Amino acid sequence: MDLVVIGGGPAGLAAAIEAKKQGIEKVVIIERDNTLGGILQQCIHDGFGLHRFGKRLSGCEYADNFIVEVENETIEVAYETIVLEITKDKVVYAMNSNEGIVEYYAKTIILAMGCRERTRSQAFIWGTRPSGVLTAGTVQRYINIEGYLPGKKAVILGSGDIGLIMARRMTLEGISVEGVYELMSSPGGLTRNIAQCLVDYDIPLHLSTTVIRIHGQHKLEGVTVAEVDEKRQVIEGTKRYIECDLLVLAVGLIPENELTRQLDIEIDPKTNGPIVDENFMTSMAGVFAAGNVVTVFDLVDYVSLTGEMAGRGAAKYIQGNLELEQDYTEVTPGENVSFVVPQRIRKDNLESKLPLYFRVRQKQENVKVIAKVAETICYQKKHRVVLPPEMLVEELDSQSVKDTNQNIVVNVMGGTL
Amino acid sequence: MIMRDRVQKAINQKESIAHYNIDIDVSDRKIVTLNGVVDYWKDVVDIGHTAAKVKGVRNVVNDITSKEFELKKEDHSDEINRVKKSGVVESCDVVIIGGGISGCSVARALSQYDLDIVVLEKNSDISEEATKANNGNIHPGTLAKPGSLKAKLNLKGNKMYTQLSKDLNFELKRPGSLIVFYRKKVWRIAKLLKIIKKTGIGHLIWPLRQMMKVPGVKWLNEEAVNKLEPNLIGHPIGGIWMTTMGIVEPHEVCMAFAENAIENGAKFKLDTKVLDINKTDNKITEVITNHSTIKCTYVINCAGVYADAVAEMVDDKFYTIHPRRGAIAIFDKSRKGFINTPCGVIAKTDRTNNTKGGGASLTPEGNMLWGPTAVETPFKEDKSVEAADLDYILNLGSGVTDDIKKNEIITFFSGIRAADYKEDFIIEASETVKGFIHVAGIQSPGLASAPAIAERVEKILLKMDKTIQKKTDFKKTREPVVKFRDLSHEEQDEWIQKNPKYGNIVCRCELITEGEIIDAIHAPLPGTTVDGIKRRTRAGMGRCQGGFCGPKVLEIVARELDKPLTEITLKGSDSYILHKQSR
Repeated sequence: MDLVVIGGGPAGLAAAIEAKKQGIEKVVIIERDNTLGGILQQCIHDGFGLHRFGKRLSGCEYADNFIVEVENETIEVAYETIVLEITKDKVVYAMNSNEGIVEYYAKTIILAMGCRERTRSQAFIWGTRPSGVLTAGTVQRYINIEGYLPGKKAVILGSGDIGLIMARRMTLEGISVEGVYELMSSPGGLTRNIAQCLVDYDIPLHLSTTVIRIHGQHKLEGVTVAEVDEKRQVIEGTKRYIECDLLVLAVGLIPENELTRQLDIEIDPKTNGPIVDENFMTSMAGVFAAGNVVTVFDLVDYVSLTGEMAGRGAAKYIQGNLELEQDYTEVTPGENVSFVVPQRIRKDNLESKLPLYFRVRQKQENVKVIAKVAETICYQKKHRVVLPPEMLVEELDSQSVKDTNQNIVVNVMGGTL
Repeated sequence: MIMRDRVQKAINQKESIAHYNIDIDVSDRKIVTLNGVVDYWKDVVDIGHTAAKVKGVRNVVNDITSKEFELKKEDHSDEINRVKKSGVVESCDVVIIGGGISGCSVARALSQYDLDIVVLEKNSDISEEATKANNGNIHPGTLAKPGSLKAKLNLKGNKMYTQLSKDLNFELKRPGSLIVFYRKKVWRIAKLLKIIKKTGIGHLIWPLRQMMKVPGVKWLNEEAVNKLEPNLIGHPIGGIWMTTMGIVEPHEVCMAFAENAIENGAKFKLDTKVLDINKTDNKITEVITNHSTIKCTYVINCAGVYADAVAEMVDDKFYTIHPRRGAIAIFDKSRKGFINTPCGVIAKTDRTNNTKGGGASLTPEGNMLWGPTAVETPFKEDKSVEAADLDYILNLGSGVTDDIKKNEIITFFSGIRAADYKEDFIIEASETVKGFIHVAGIQSPGLASAPAIAERVEKILLKMDKTIQKKTDFKKTREPVVKFRDLSHEEQDEWIQKNPKYGNIVCRCELITEGEIIDAIHAPLPGTTVDGIKRRTRAGMGRCQGGFCGPKVLEIVARELDKPLTEITLKGSDSYILHKQSR
């Protein structure tokens, strides 16, 4: 195989199609489910593709646009196949019911495994372990794919996008949603989702309030919520018991990097994903990564962009058009920035534009994004407001970073308008 | 001074409990019964322990209540009448009450004989209580109190595990247990123990007698201990390595005993709760459950935290079980190999509590496991985990490493220890009721001692009834369960060719196949709940804790049992996962 893409979700689809378009012949997508689309399959709500297609599509429709292309480009897909192991020689051991163990000898690999949900234990909610406590993605799967309702009265912990989307979905399906509870003092999801999922449905949002206890021996009977202070400590006297039979946990997503770690690929502790360069190539030459496995994105449009970048990179690698020896220039997060992707670049490999994906640590108003190389400003842009839940994407002019060997630092600075 | 006065004196000597008015009764059999009302539950327990420590006291029945918690007594009379009216009667020779590690190991031992055996388990599955919630340690036996029944049976049981793991095909590893030392003074004393053990002087020193009996204890110098465990915090200057310590998956061991017992004719009745036991002329006649009346000759009480309630049914309650909760945290597999042996630091052991040290342990699969905590609770069903539990657990682990972070925990849970006030095992034939055998107070080292406990019960039963014959066709081995993830790629390929269901991965985190899940649903003791499948296969034990595979497991169970998805539960009873179809 020229290219093995692990994961047939939006990142893997975009990567495979782009590589094919760049002239790479033997491309295979290894997908564990029996259809392509990844998590988009269960996203029946709209809001996808505003940037890429200028339309409000459902997750399934967005995925379909790519799945059609996969068929057009005659890209091989191994369905219901799971990757067991990747060796350092890029041999991919995969497995399915029909063929048993299959070995793919790959010239390049693109890791596009997506992410998984944080669990009840990782949120440290005390009490018992009854049924009726599910992560939001699992609830979404039961309702949208299986056609079952996991409860009658729900409390949602976490105001990230998946929590907000499920608040609306459950309400539409007849599950009563008592409220959405958020540990932090500001919401975790996109502003438009707060409006379209909570405000529009009269579902209260309780900030700085979290679920501290689960009650019920076999079946969930209720939860205790309490308000927390700035240090996220429980405030005495604010505990409240809520009777419910479903606790939906939307407490965070974690990039799924088991295979990445097996290969000893360098991980960025700030993203929990592999360190990638301008072509989304990891620290292992010829192995690329794209989508939520690198860092969790808010918009699938960006996921597709990173997939295309990785696909192009893989094609260049095979065609011998990638500079592999040049020293890396580091791209580091500066003031009020928690991480930047890509984390490093090889100047000779840059296309005309260098997109940088990053998040701010704290909400700020009237700011400027300033990218600096040493003391020289190579990019700046004003924003009226920046929020941690809304990832920023700035396209630098590659010319502006090519002249020096110094690191690029991305800052978000206030009081400059 | 008579015993009653000695007990009163002991209570008077403790300032925190001396002011209470406690009624003390001492029976001919030297059983102390306590009555009264105190303010706090901790005082109830304290008084019980104080009385139990008085010389000559055989055991303590503690009926003291506290103002802090109201404990309701269950009344089964309506249910008993209903069952009696229904007229459903069965019969067998031996009824074993409780399907935990004790009940299942006893069942297996007795299934060697020509006996009709029925095991009654009140939950929907075996090993649902303390058996599944402990740290899986097969203790070397060093820390048991010298002269206690625990000490004797722990040593014996530890040895028996080697052959059993081969016969019953469950995983047993013997990494040994390591106590590390950082302070020169303490290490010097520890090194003295080596000389004491070698020369045999220890037999003369009462507290050291147990240590003398434990084989395979090695003293490691600085170089050796750091070679064995390179990742520990700081730089240990020495260590005591008890090489006979083993680790198992406790529910796997329990399942192995149960399946072998079933293969040899024993029957298991799940969702079956014992409501009463009848006797005539002080001889056992029948057990009444929530389903039927079972006429039987022998009753073996392996009821864990409810052992005292069962003993009361035959009017032979001479002990009280005071529940003691223990919580455990399990870490992500990515830390596999970080430590090689379960470790503890001597300074961190809390000498005031009755539970052994705990510390940083491992599971056979390679997950780090820290704990357990020890919290006295009045509630036999209180399996919650509290913030204080986790603080204690993290503190325990921090004694050996500061590299492992709280956010690497993938799950935590707790179980309830069935502790009596003497804090020792009670394994004996009833002195007043013919046919009743007590197997009570089985807390740590209950798992390590299980094979020896079963052997002791076997001896007791054979002494009671000399007509019991051994079977000629007893099958002592159990077929191994397929662990697909452990096979080579070639072997995996072969299995998939034989049965394509082994080629469909359901649990991604632990690499568990549909084939293994189907096997578990159709096993001799079938898994019919999501948690039951989890324990039999490991599906759902990984870092995503069933988030991905949960819906798939649910579907497979429903399909194989030909039931609607809405009828499948997480852990039996009313723990349904799905409420209804959306359309």
